[in-house]
Formats: sequence, C-alpha cells, structure tokens
Amino acid sequence: MPRAQSLAAADAALIAAWQGGDEQAAAELVRRHARALARFLAAAGAPEADLDDLVQETFIRAFRAVGRFRGQCQFRTWLLTIGGNVLKDAARRLQQVRVVPLDDELRSRDGDPHETAVAGEAEARLQDVLERLPHMQREVFLLRAQQGLEYEEIAAALGTSAGAARVHYHHAVRRLKEALQ
Amino acid sequence: MNLDEELQDAKLRELARLLGAGAAERLDVERTAQAVVTRLRQPPRVTLAGWVWMQPAWLKIAAAIVLVLGAGLVTRVLLRERVPMTAVVAPLGEDLTDLTADQLRETVGALEQPFAEESPDARDAGLESLNTIELRALLRTLES
Repeated sequence: MPRAQSLAAADAALIAAWQGGDEQAAAELVRRHARALARFLAAAGAPEADLDDLVQETFIRAFRAVGRFRGQCQFRTWLLTIGGNVLKDAARRLQQVRVVPLDDELRSRDGDPHETAVAGEAEARLQDVLERLPHMQREVFLLRAQQGLEYEEIAAALGTSAGAARVHYHHAVRRLKEALQ
Repeated sequence: MNLDEELQDAKLRELARLLGAGAAERLDVERTAQAVVTRLRQPPRVTLAGWVWMQPAWLKIAAAIVLVLGAGLVTRVLLRERVPMTAVVAPLGEDLTDLTADQLRETVGALEQPFAEESPDARDAGLESLNTIELRALLRTLES
C-alpha cells in the first residue's frame, strides 16, 4: 500500500475511534499532524508566540467539525485549510499578523556565512511577500511548495478546481520571484 | 522553462520548506495534544463572535418575514380592488337593454358596493323600489 494511502487509512481509523469517544485517538492525531500544521501556520505569518494557541484552536475546530470531513482529501490537508481560516480570523482580530522573526537555527546553518546571510535575507523577503499575497494564493503556494501536495489534493481541500489551484500557484510564484530578484 | 527558471523554482520551494521549520520544531507537541484533549472535554463555548454572527442571521430572517408579509398584504389589497372592477366593466360594455331587472339590480349593486362602505346612505337607498327604466337610467348615469 502506498505511504499516503496507509497514512490516510491510519488517520481514518483514529478519526473513527475519536468519534466513538476515544480521547487518546484525538491526542494521537494531534501528535501526527501538529508539527506540519505549525510549520504551515508559521510560514503563513503566525507569530511564534501565538503558534501553540493557533494549533490548538485548529484541532478543536477540526475535531468538532469532523463529521463534515468526507475523505475528499487527506486529513492533514483538510486540517491545514482549517488552520488557514483560524489564522485569518486571528489576524482579523489583531488587525495584523506580525512578521515572524527569523529562526536562529536557520541563521546559524553551517556553511559560508555570506551564503547563510543571503539565504536568511531571502527567507525574510519571502515571508514578507507571502503575508501580502491574497489568502488563496498564499494557501495554495504553501500547500504545494511547502507541503508538496498535488493540485488535485489542494483543489479538493479548498473546494476549487485543480486548474484554478494551478493558476493561484503560478500567480503566487510570479509575485514571489519578482520580490526575490 | 529554462534552466535559470528551474533553479529559481527549486530555490523558491527550498525556501518555502524552510519557512516556519524552527518554530514548528520548538512546539511542545505532547503538551499541545493534552491541551486539545482537555479542551475537547469542555462543552463548546458560545463565543462573542458566534453570538454577534447570530444576530445578523436573526435580523435577516426577520427581514425576510416582513418582506413576505408585506408582499402578501399588497397582493391582497390589489386583488380586492380588482375583483369588483372586472365584475362591473363587462356588463357596462354590453347593451343594457338585454339585461333583465334582476341582472340590472345585481350590476347596480356591484357598482354600489365599493361606495357603500364609505357612504351608508347609499346602502339605504334600496334598489327594490326602482323599476326597469329607472334602473337603466341609473346605470347609464353611473357609466357616464
């Protein structure tokens, strides 16, 4: 069985167990997907100080609405789109999403200090432009480039067509490239 | 796509993969999992945002009900105004000489009805006492 299918089957079993009242199944789903969700949220502009709250809120919303999840895409993809909405709501409340400070770990990567500095600067610019992209373009770009998902999977999660997802991705890439040049 | 563009795309994907990686690594996943389970045990809160969201929904429902009732009322009034007109216009267009005394009384009565509510005297006048010639004369007066 391909890895994606076996992951989906394991998620489906955990979801069914949670719906049957097994709290540990919910905890296991959090363990499996929290880091990917946190990476997605941080890249989309979530301040690190709020990251834990946003991840929790995303899981709470997902578990309470899990009856609406019909397996149209992977559970993680569905979760990421809920995370995107949670972040959007939070940003609306705060009226701004602060720029995430560059990670020290990323700054101190081994290698040429000049190259590291250039890469860090590029990341900062990428982050900045990403936050200014329209919501849909940002989500599609991150789901594709960061999470490595296929257009069909992205389209199913966002309720759009694969062609539209492709167009959003290319618009996002064009704007990001312009900003990085 | 040329080599330069491919390199740019690869660089972009690589940068995207790095974004948020450090912050995600620092997340205490076990603590988050326990916090989520604890929150799931609590009943869903009706947040202020949820409450506020509900208000416009109720307002929309109320507005829809008012619109339906208003439209119904207007339709009813229009229909009530039209019914006597259709009943009256047809006989008036025809030759009155063909009508019997009873038909003439009925027609005059129909003409009289809309005014009767405003003028009680008209109802008291009584058509029974009029003969056929007088009824025809009355109708022609009303028609003109």
